[in-house]
Amino acid sequence: MKNLRTSKAISIAAVLIVALIVPQLGFNDYIMTIFVQGLLYSIIVLGLNFITGMTGQMNLGNAAVFGLGAYTAALSTTKLGISPWLAMILVALMGWLIGLVLGYPSLRVKGVYLTLTTIAFNEIVRLCLQNMEWTGGVGGVRSIPRFHIFGFLINTPVRNYYFILIILVFVIFITYRIIHSKYGRAFIAVRDNVDAVETCGIKLSRIKVQAFTLSTIYGAIAGGLYASFMGYVSPTTFTMNLSMSFAVMLIIGGRCSIAGCIIGAFVISFAPELLRFLGTYYQFTYALIIMLALIFNPNGLVALGPKIKHLFVKIFHKAEA
Amino acid sequence: MLKIRNVNTYYGAIHAIHDIDVEVNEGEIVSVIGANGAGKSTLMKTIMGIVKPKTGTVEFMGEDITSASTAKIVKNGIVYVPEGRYIFPDLSVADNLMMGAYSQRFSAKELNDLMEEMYEMFPRLRERKKQLGGTLSGGEQQMLAIARGMMSRPKLIMFDEPSLGLAPIIVSEVFDTILKIKEEMQIPIVLVEQNAYKALSISNRCYILENGKVTLSGESAKLINDDNVRKAYLAG
Repeated sequence: MKNLRTSKAISIAAVLIVALIVPQLGFNDYIMTIFVQGLLYSIIVLGLNFITGMTGQMNLGNAAVFGLGAYTAALSTTKLGISPWLAMILVALMGWLIGLVLGYPSLRVKGVYLTLTTIAFNEIVRLCLQNMEWTGGVGGVRSIPRFHIFGFLINTPVRNYYFILIILVFVIFITYRIIHSKYGRAFIAVRDNVDAVETCGIKLSRIKVQAFTLSTIYGAIAGGLYASFMGYVSPTTFTMNLSMSFAVMLIIGGRCSIAGCIIGAFVISFAPELLRFLGTYYQFTYALIIMLALIFNPNGLVALGPKIKHLFVKIFHKAEA
Repeated sequence: MLKIRNVNTYYGAIHAIHDIDVEVNEGEIVSVIGANGAGKSTLMKTIMGIVKPKTGTVEFMGEDITSASTAKIVKNGIVYVPEGRYIFPDLSVADNLMMGAYSQRFSAKELNDLMEEMYEMFPRLRERKKQLGGTLSGGEQQMLAIARGMMSRPKLIMFDEPSLGLAPIIVSEVFDTILKIKEEMQIPIVLVEQNAYKALSISNRCYILENGKVTLSGESAKLINDDNVRKAYLAG
């Protein structure tokens, strides 16, 4: 038990050190931008994990939540002139509001109906952002101000990387606490056995909305950070495709696991780069890999660890004999 | 303690239970027996507020709970252990138990003591506390469901066919546990069963349900010797 805890602590420390070193390895700005994207998507996927991973309700509207968070930050800083820090409070409120307003009606429906509702939400939001005048139309919003922290302007990808890394670490800590609280247990219980949840004295609708609201707050915060990081937002980013990617990240990485969410976010963020050499075969190969992964490794990349360990032990025993 | 008066419950147009009067007093086991479709589970669900009756009232410890939510009813102290061992397969045994205490605001120490009490009562659960609920055997899952129900310190427990699908030796174990809960913890029990003989032999009073109506009720010791009951439920 103690051994397990120390080995866990060592691996967390190792990952943190690697994460801190990454920007010093001389990657160009483009690659660093993808790293930052991985960090931002990690926050979203950690949020999505509450509702889709733990509670088992498929949500394909997360790109819209991400977009609403980004636009809240973009518009409040450029039009109202408030600081990005203050805007983040509005962004979190926005996430909370989406959770309540969308959560209560949509979580009454189950399964495919819920999925369809969230897809519709995604499209409605995207079309509104694209066609309303005060959101900037197709052109979006430009010159979004950057964060200032202790006299530093967070303006380069490397600075953004460190800034968002710190926030991610904080988010991971909170997520860990929630997963291991009575709410975390209740989320998994909803996925496991809906009928038994009510006999435990839990209001099913309330617990689902709580999980959903957590996911929308996470999504909106990631959006707010994204707006300031990119400096501009445009409605073409927040498509259903992106929502699908978030779901893929969660499932490929490993639902219900913090490490899985983050691995998934990074792997899928870098997939286009790693598979670039395939040229026009990229989309086809990407889809094929995902299909194979879902069939042969349905519990995600995190489940590979123990499998590989097992394999090594087996080979080692054979070599000995 | 629990008073059900003139309750009528419908599923759409289907009249599932007719004018039912049931009463449960302190310190007794009340059994409800009847064939499939007699309305036993509907009666349980009506008490728990999972389905609402069209007419009639459900009163618990002097409070009208007819239209209260299930969460509120559990908080008030009625626990329902549903048929088919409704446990959480993806949660560990310990987490399953913790879920039972969700509705109550226990301190960490109270919670710990309560868990310890359950492990004393069900030593098998202690051995398996880190295992996932889904990996337990049928009998162990039933024990887990009962222990989870006990975790909210209920004032009344209702068991819905606790013997369903269990081997005879395990059935005896489950009934022993139910008797122990009533005797050692002084918690009154409502026991819904198809196994009429077992139910009659451990309960104080019994209601017999047929087609949604109470056709016979009284002391279990008398009913067990009643000719009609013997013919219909105890196979001669």
